[in-house]
Amino acid sequence: MPFDQALRFASIWLASTSFIGLTLGAGLPEWLAVLTGAALIIALLRNAGGKSVGQLATHTLMSTTGWNLLVIVGFLGFWVDMLWVSGELLPAGVHFLMILMIIKLFNLKLRRDYLHLYAISLVAILASGSLTTDLWYLPIFLLYLFVGVWTLLLFQLTKHPEEPRILTMSVAMRPQPLASVSQVTPQFFWLANGLALATFGLTLVIFFTIPRVGAGFYQKGFGENIRTSGFSETVNLGEIGPIKRDPSVVMRVELSDGPPQEAGRLYLRGVAFDQYDGKAWTNRLNYRRAVSEDAVGTFVLRSSRSFATPRLGDTIRQNILLEPLDTPVLFAAPLVERVSGKFPSVQSDLTGSVYLPFPSSSRIEYSALSRSNPVLPEDLSAEPSVYPESVIRHFLQIPSQPERIAVLAKEITHTQRTIYDKATAIHSFLTHNFRYSLDAPLTEQDQPLEEFLFTRKTGYCEHYATAMVIMLRTIGIPARLVTGFLATEWNEYGNYYVVRQQDAHAWVEVHLPHSGWITMDPTPPSIESIGSESPAWHALGRMLDTIRLQWGRFFVQYSAADQLAVVRELKAGSTSARNKAVDSISTLFSPFMAMFGGMAGYASKGMIQSLAEVLVPTLIGLAVLLWLGIRRPWVKGMISKKTTRDEQVIMQLYGRMIGHLARKGIAKLTAMPPLEFVRLTQEQWSNAGSAVASITDLYCRARFGQIPPTREELALAEDHLRNLMTLEKP
Amino acid sequence: MNPTDIIRAIQENIARVIKGKPQVIEMSLVALLARGHLLLEDVPGVGKTTLAHSLAKSLDCSFKRIQFTSDLLPSDIVGVSIFNRQKQAFEFMPGPIFANIVLADEINRTTPKTQSSLLEAMSEAQISFDNKTYPLNQPFMVIATQNPAEYHGTFPLPESQLDRFLMRLRIGYPSPEEEKKVLDRPQSLHPAEELRPLLATHDVLLLQEQVDRVLMEESITDYLLAIVQHTRQSDLLSLGVSTRGALALSRAAKALSLVRGRTYCLPDDIKELAPIVLSHRIMVARTQGLHQRNFEQAERIIQDLVDSIPVPV
Repeated sequence: MPFDQALRFASIWLASTSFIGLTLGAGLPEWLAVLTGAALIIALLRNAGGKSVGQLATHTLMSTTGWNLLVIVGFLGFWVDMLWVSGELLPAGVHFLMILMIIKLFNLKLRRDYLHLYAISLVAILASGSLTTDLWYLPIFLLYLFVGVWTLLLFQLTKHPEEPRILTMSVAMRPQPLASVSQVTPQFFWLANGLALATFGLTLVIFFTIPRVGAGFYQKGFGENIRTSGFSETVNLGEIGPIKRDPSVVMRVELSDGPPQEAGRLYLRGVAFDQYDGKAWTNRLNYRRAVSEDAVGTFVLRSSRSFATPRLGDTIRQNILLEPLDTPVLFAAPLVERVSGKFPSVQSDLTGSVYLPFPSSSRIEYSALSRSNPVLPEDLSAEPSVYPESVIRHFLQIPSQPERIAVLAKEITHTQRTIYDKATAIHSFLTHNFRYSLDAPLTEQDQPLEEFLFTRKTGYCEHYATAMVIMLRTIGIPARLVTGFLATEWNEYGNYYVVRQQDAHAWVEVHLPHSGWITMDPTPPSIESIGSESPAWHALGRMLDTIRLQWGRFFVQYSAADQLAVVRELKAGSTSARNKAVDSISTLFSPFMAMFGGMAGYASKGMIQSLAEVLVPTLIGLAVLLWLGIRRPWVKGMISKKTTRDEQVIMQLYGRMIGHLARKGIAKLTAMPPLEFVRLTQEQWSNAGSAVASITDLYCRARFGQIPPTREELALAEDHLRNLMTLEKP
Repeated sequence: MNPTDIIRAIQENIARVIKGKPQVIEMSLVALLARGHLLLEDVPGVGKTTLAHSLAKSLDCSFKRIQFTSDLLPSDIVGVSIFNRQKQAFEFMPGPIFANIVLADEINRTTPKTQSSLLEAMSEAQISFDNKTYPLNQPFMVIATQNPAEYHGTFPLPESQLDRFLMRLRIGYPSPEEEKKVLDRPQSLHPAEELRPLLATHDVLLLQEQVDRVLMEESITDYLLAIVQHTRQSDLLSLGVSTRGALALSRAAKALSLVRGRTYCLPDDIKELAPIVLSHRIMVARTQGLHQRNFEQAERIIQDLVDSIPVPV
């Protein structure tokens, strides 16, 4: 493809890329998006050779004055837009930009117009960058960068042929070398792509190194908080159900101790409730107190030392990335011991739930250490036990339920002796006799719990959990309802759980006299949740989610602290690499050093180390230079073009010989080729003939045959010339 | 034996027959090695036919001679289809063009129709007959002769056909001493018959390939192009040298370098070849008051031109 056509193509693509970026990011009004898209397609078609389309568009539409009028109208429209329609500078500016782009696309005549188009597309891509932080911006931006490098390269390359040239006689006689270069050759293609890649690499380096300014602006439009339910003061029965189909990601939980045990489930506790009024759960123990700060950013809820019992459960370390939610609750596996994150303060209530002072408007990252209570042997024996007063007061409340529930609970548990066994019996009763379903809108019922237990026998997690809590309480066992998330989606690519809105869950905490609160989940596993999608598609989704997470973490929320971390890691890496290099070089140099005896002992390691420090980068630099030198074809050309020293010597000798013969009266005319001159000399001065012939032969070989003379031949030629100088012309 | 020695041996071989004309022999070899065709223009009886014959003899090549007359038909050159009674089908009988070296004697005596039947053979090295193409033997070389003195009853060759000849040579009368040697030779035998072949056809092809490997330095190419440009701009000429002409000069120069035992071209090669390779491709302007096809005039113009163009140093 010729350069100028390639330039037109690249320019239109550049504009298209920025247009796509803006359309995805700013949500252009439909009529404007369609109009701009059409303009781009027409421009492309025109360039591809669809002359008729292009002519139609340019010539029948309007004249230059018409276009200029359109610009003025567009500018007036911009003010109207800004002041009354959209009311903001950025959207109005973006709309005006698109109109400008359309006008420019139809008026690409001079090189100046191309420059204008580039400026417009640059502003467009920058605008879309400031309007979004989504992942799709990355490929669009990369594409823009790529096409941009191509365009600028082509723009520069097409510059020369357009400039006027003075045709001299000699130039006109030679074939124009430009004709062969002004095509996009494979070499050129790869050179341009390499350049684009290098630019991208450089951009990355700059991105990671320069200080973050204006981060606030770019993070401004980070998006709305996700609406959650089930974590407020009051939860209606059946409130969690509707969100069970919402797949938006709520958080991601990284486990530092590898993949999870327990069949890949992780409970993430949110809020606990103590009061049930027959329809809704309420947390009466909602008095929040500030949690004491252990170190900076580390908040201890309960210290492991405070437990009297010798046996402790396993700890779970989690690193949680919480999307912006409309609740200040901090989720973690039960029961949280300590939370650390960049928070000024953390609060907790009496049920062990953890809160921030207010909901966060951006994604937050924190880590939590949790330890669940194990069931102690004392609770497995039949010893009668007494609960503390505070527990009895809060967790045995029962609403005015029909007697049937209490009867049912007694019926199920009358054969069991211990509290733990009774709880287990109710748990297994609910798990085995009831069906899990999401199609159970029970909120309207007067007695949703009775309806669930005796009529429908179908419900979702809240029904199960409520039923279990109430049944336990009717037989005198303290229990409470807990809401949170049940994480089941393990991402093996990033080693984390993806927790979605649909993973919202409710379960039960039962208080055992010795062990304390233990978690029990009476909800049977959902049949519907078993994957209907293909595994390959799943894996792809998980991989994409990993990329999205890294994008958010390393680009969108990349902060000065992260920069420091990168620098620190690089420094550590380079130090270890340098140490290795020093070691290998010292082993290499040790024999020489031994030779120097005492001196070596004196200089020893320190000197070698400094030597190595200088040597290694120098060698690397030289290798790079050498590689570049070999790779670049124009350098190769210069080397073959350049005459060697021996060739220059013989040319000088020949020149001296010509000069000498001219002084002797045998002039070499400009139109006389070398051998003809030899014949002329032989005719006019036979004595000099052999010397002239031999020097001329060497000269011709070097000059036209590119065969450099040997040293002996050169020496002989010099002898010949000296003889020639001494000869007398008859 | 290296190429230079072989070529010298051939030259000496032919020189035993063609006395006193080493340059003509050399140039005919150049034409052969450059895959070109030769136009010999001279009065009758100076050895044009003998030259062609002895070249073919020294090369172990097949040799055919076509005497061009005004009633010669294309089928006399190319071949004819003859009905074969046994096979009940027409059969192509190849004409005399199917040889390695073809002597087209007195080519300007025949009609343009017949002359042009040579065209395809000379440029494409193939013959089309009855919608079929027949490749010619390789190497293939046409040596045409024409008589400049007899304008009566001749059809001058068209430019297109002249352009297809690599070079045009004149043999000229031998010197009296050389002529005496010719007379002293036994008359009973054709002199070319006693030559023995020195080179197989296959080796000729190898030599032709060697020509392609001869180095032409950039400045020499520029020099060649300068000459060509000057012919196009000269006021003395109404038609300059075509691109085919430039290509022919380049190929001939390479072949001459090989014949002279070099692996690279010199400006001398170009300058020496320019008159004989270019002079039949140009038209002398009418303002010169001379006959347009005056070859001697054309040669002199080219020679003057070459003498005025600076050679690369």
